[in-house]
Amino acid sequence: MTAAPLLQVEDLHVEFATHGGTVRAVRGVDFSVDSNRTLAIVGESGCGKSVSVQSIMGLIPVPPGRIGPGSALLRGQEILGNNVVNGRDVRGSEIGMIFQDPMTSLNPTMTIGAQIAEPLQVHRGYGAGRAREEAIRLLESCRIPEARKRAGQYPFEFSGGMLQRAMIAMAISCKPALLIADEPTTALDVTIQSQILDLMRDLQRETGMAIILITHDLGVVARMADEVLVMYAGEVVEKGGVDDVFYRSAHPYTLGLKAAMPSNRDDSAQVLTPIDGSPPDLFAPPGGCGYFARCPYAMQACEDNHPESFDLHADHFARCWLHHEDCDVEATDVHRTTASE
Amino acid sequence: MSYGAADFLPVSGQRDVHGISRPSLSYLQDAWLRLKANRRALASLYLVLGLLFFTIAGPWIWRVDSAVQDLDQISQPPGVDRAALIVPDYQSWDGAGEAGPLHVVGDATSQSVRLKWDALPGANGHRVYRNIFPVGPELAYGMPLAEFFDNTILYHEDRLDLRPGRYFYSVVALGEDGAVTANYESLTVDVRRVTTLAEAVDRGLIENGDQLAVGDSIELQLHPLGTDYLGRDMLARLMAGARVSLFIGIVAPALFVLFGVVFGAAAGFIGGRVDQFMMRFADFVVALPFLLFMILFKIAFGIGPGESGVMPMLVAMVVLLWPATARLVRGQILQLREAAYVQASQLLGARTNYLVLRHMLPNTLGVVLVTLTFEIPKAIFVEAFLSFIGMGVAPPTPSWGSMSNEGIATMLTTPHELIFPALFISITVLAFNLLGDGLRDALDARMRNAG
Amino acid sequence: MRQGMAWYVCKRLLQGVVTVWFIATATFFAMHNVPGDPLLNDRAMTPAIRANLEARYGLDQPLFNQYLIYLGNLAQGDFGISFTQENRQVNDIIREHFPVSATLGILAVLFAAAGGVLWGALTALYRNRMPDYVIMFLVILGISVPSFVVAALSQLGLVTLNTLVGRSLLPVAGWGSVFHMLTPALVLGLSTMAYLTRLMRSSMLEIIDSDFVRTAKSKGVPPALIFSRHQLRNAILPVVTVLGPQIAVITTGGFVVELVFAIPGLGRFFVEAVQQLDYTVIMGTTVFYGAFLVFMVIVVDLLYGFIDPRVRLQ
Repeated sequence: MTAAPLLQVEDLHVEFATHGGTVRAVRGVDFSVDSNRTLAIVGESGCGKSVSVQSIMGLIPVPPGRIGPGSALLRGQEILGNNVVNGRDVRGSEIGMIFQDPMTSLNPTMTIGAQIAEPLQVHRGYGAGRAREEAIRLLESCRIPEARKRAGQYPFEFSGGMLQRAMIAMAISCKPALLIADEPTTALDVTIQSQILDLMRDLQRETGMAIILITHDLGVVARMADEVLVMYAGEVVEKGGVDDVFYRSAHPYTLGLKAAMPSNRDDSAQVLTPIDGSPPDLFAPPGGCGYFARCPYAMQACEDNHPESFDLHADHFARCWLHHEDCDVEATDVHRTTASE
Repeated sequence: MSYGAADFLPVSGQRDVHGISRPSLSYLQDAWLRLKANRRALASLYLVLGLLFFTIAGPWIWRVDSAVQDLDQISQPPGVDRAALIVPDYQSWDGAGEAGPLHVVGDATSQSVRLKWDALPGANGHRVYRNIFPVGPELAYGMPLAEFFDNTILYHEDRLDLRPGRYFYSVVALGEDGAVTANYESLTVDVRRVTTLAEAVDRGLIENGDQLAVGDSIELQLHPLGTDYLGRDMLARLMAGARVSLFIGIVAPALFVLFGVVFGAAAGFIGGRVDQFMMRFADFVVALPFLLFMILFKIAFGIGPGESGVMPMLVAMVVLLWPATARLVRGQILQLREAAYVQASQLLGARTNYLVLRHMLPNTLGVVLVTLTFEIPKAIFVEAFLSFIGMGVAPPTPSWGSMSNEGIATMLTTPHELIFPALFISITVLAFNLLGDGLRDALDARMRNAG
Repeated sequence: MRQGMAWYVCKRLLQGVVTVWFIATATFFAMHNVPGDPLLNDRAMTPAIRANLEARYGLDQPLFNQYLIYLGNLAQGDFGISFTQENRQVNDIIREHFPVSATLGILAVLFAAAGGVLWGALTALYRNRMPDYVIMFLVILGISVPSFVVAALSQLGLVTLNTLVGRSLLPVAGWGSVFHMLTPALVLGLSTMAYLTRLMRSSMLEIIDSDFVRTAKSKGVPPALIFSRHQLRNAILPVVTVLGPQIAVITTGGFVVELVFAIPGLGRFFVEAVQQLDYTVIMGTTVFYGAFLVFMVIVVDLLYGFIDPRVRLQ
């Protein structure tokens, strides 16, 4: 371990008070990300991956949301709950964020140029003219043709892919150290997806920024990520380098996700295996393993005992009883037999 | 904590993976649960039911004719003392009695107030005034009752529409030219309610004059909410008015919403040029200034003698107000035609009848119901508005709007004549609006998965 | 793009003219359905008026000819002569009384729009807290109490207030100064204000949770700027769309307010004409009001295009 990571999140908790009770959406999440690195957070809908990063960005409405305990340190400074470091809002300046649906994430009554210029005016104190010129330059750097004309147009005059480029231009306008991308390609079609991912990677290479990429697409993970965080029911169930998580998957849920992913490689005859059932009710999270009810390897210990986090290799963890020293079942082995049935 | 090998044995048997999800509900069950959970909507539902009970069953419980006048109690607010003293029949008065400054001779009763006074210094004559407010510094004497241009007649008997209560009489000296001077004398008089035996029999309070004697007290007829300017029972009139107001308020929207549904569904279903033509026609009807045309239609239909004018209003509303529902339903139908489940049903060979009855109508029902609930308060407002400007139901038929119109004239003295009908209009409109809000929230499919 | 705009305006105006023709036709035939001879009205017995009218409207000719004469007169902007007031042109009546109604109406619309946007935004920002509950209670009251009751009660309130203070703070009725306008305009705009408040509240609530507001937050835009630049402007759009129909509500609501407050506007004149069955005045005012409202709806639509780029540019 060298210097402190760019962003370090520890024991993050987020709850929502609703009419039906309290939803415990995020329950003790830890992760960190460094400059020039890409962290992918994967998991199915409702597992708390978006809520985690939105809580760090101060985008969770409080109430009904409640954030804490936990900490999020940006270069060693706490940003959870205030987002202000040295009297300045880190949002838009230190951390940029792009969202899933570019169509609804931009203000329909403001020109694209004005929206990209906004962070520059707010954080850098640029005048309108200078901010506009910079916005045009940013659009060009995000490979939008006829940037000058485009800057004067409104979101409805853009296509989805172009809008996501504009979103990226907006997010990186103040040269942030960290870019959070919340399912940036989910709403786009496949060729556009690829272009957007390329753009993000090129920008990372140029600026050295860190990227947190939230997705449920393992293909995107394999292509982009350095480290992977697998979340399930508000918890991190597996964390490690991309190769570790893909080739030495240690949690049955990760195995399940992989089995449910279409593939055109060597074993293309393999049947897609969906994960049966649905995630647990986060109004009352189970005392044991959240994956117990759906897990093909479920054991006696899993029902009532919350799994510990087991250290497997260097920086590779899994929260599963299979890795207890007294347990002699090998997850991957069992998986192979069930999957080939 | 330590674990043994037994902890790591596979779990046998079936685990219920779906057991965590909640029981599923049908659309209407779900909607009803939502409505019940909405306390405001539920309260307004009870309020609406109460109003319907008041309208339908009320006249059977409070059996007073809304057209009968109680001349003893005109513009009477609710809750006043109804006791009346029985006095002998009226005898004329020739001004007999003691002299002195302005004073009352005998008792001040609702039969008559006999005033007598000494000539004011320097007066060439006198004028007698009556007011319901004190004269005050601005010399507001009130209503002139009589005028005498010499100082020989120094008495006056007031028998003009006397009610129980406090009056302020003034006698003002007249100058040489007969003009009013600032020289006046004032007297506060508390008038007591009296009646004669003959009147009591006449009003049906007692069967014949032998039952009571002069000096006895008698209770006048009960009017729980008071009486109006013609002495008609307010409660009975409010019930009768409720029939008119709610009839128009409910039947008119029911009819024009029904017509709108048929028109809109037809346009949406047929589509093409017919649809274009039908909707263009609807656009024109929408463009007509609604209230002006309501008035125009009312004039055009004309109201014959003895007619209440309810029917012309009903017809005019239906003719003018259907397009909003038609547009809404057409939009819904067009949307539903494109819906995946309708197309799937079509692919499976469902017939038009089946499609319409099974898919289209049930799915527009919610929207139509909400529209209907919101149109009811609007229709009640329209009736009230028209009746208020004298273009509504014809007198003597009561409606809440026409009652408000009549009440406004006496707003300053007897506010209850305005307040009761206005209150009923407001409460009814409020109840239907809140119920509509609740229904919309309950039936809105978008809301089903949230919170 | 500029040409498209001009074409759009022309199209809307043309549609407006056709709509006005429809209104005029409906008015003509509705009035001709009135039982009896309009000229046998005892108020219209002055021979001078009668002779004048018969010649002018071709009352001895078939209905269709009468209709054509009527349309011809309308096309020249001639609404005819009053049946009950000798030698008084309907045009003069409108010219004299409409400015009063228009002043009152414009003031009421301004009150309603400003109040609706302000209160609506406020309730949304303070959602489920005290200001929200208080304002929404008043809004429900404003929607549920008929305008004539509000008018009467406000008059009663003014009388009481003036008596309490001992001098006339605001005039109770009549017309003339700005002070005469305030109370009636407020009363007239009240129900529209309540309606717009509700609309603004729900549209603002939708915007508060919208994706683009979240984006603005993620850019670190300060709350005041988010409110003015991102929330308010977008939330106002649905309010502007209903402004056209609401102008119609305010215009006809003016009848009652003008009656109660004794204001010499066209609305009160119309109600009087209706009560006296003054046919030409009724027809003239109806068509005039109809044309006015059609025109206002077009104006509001164009205004909407000005605010919403999606409409302006397509």
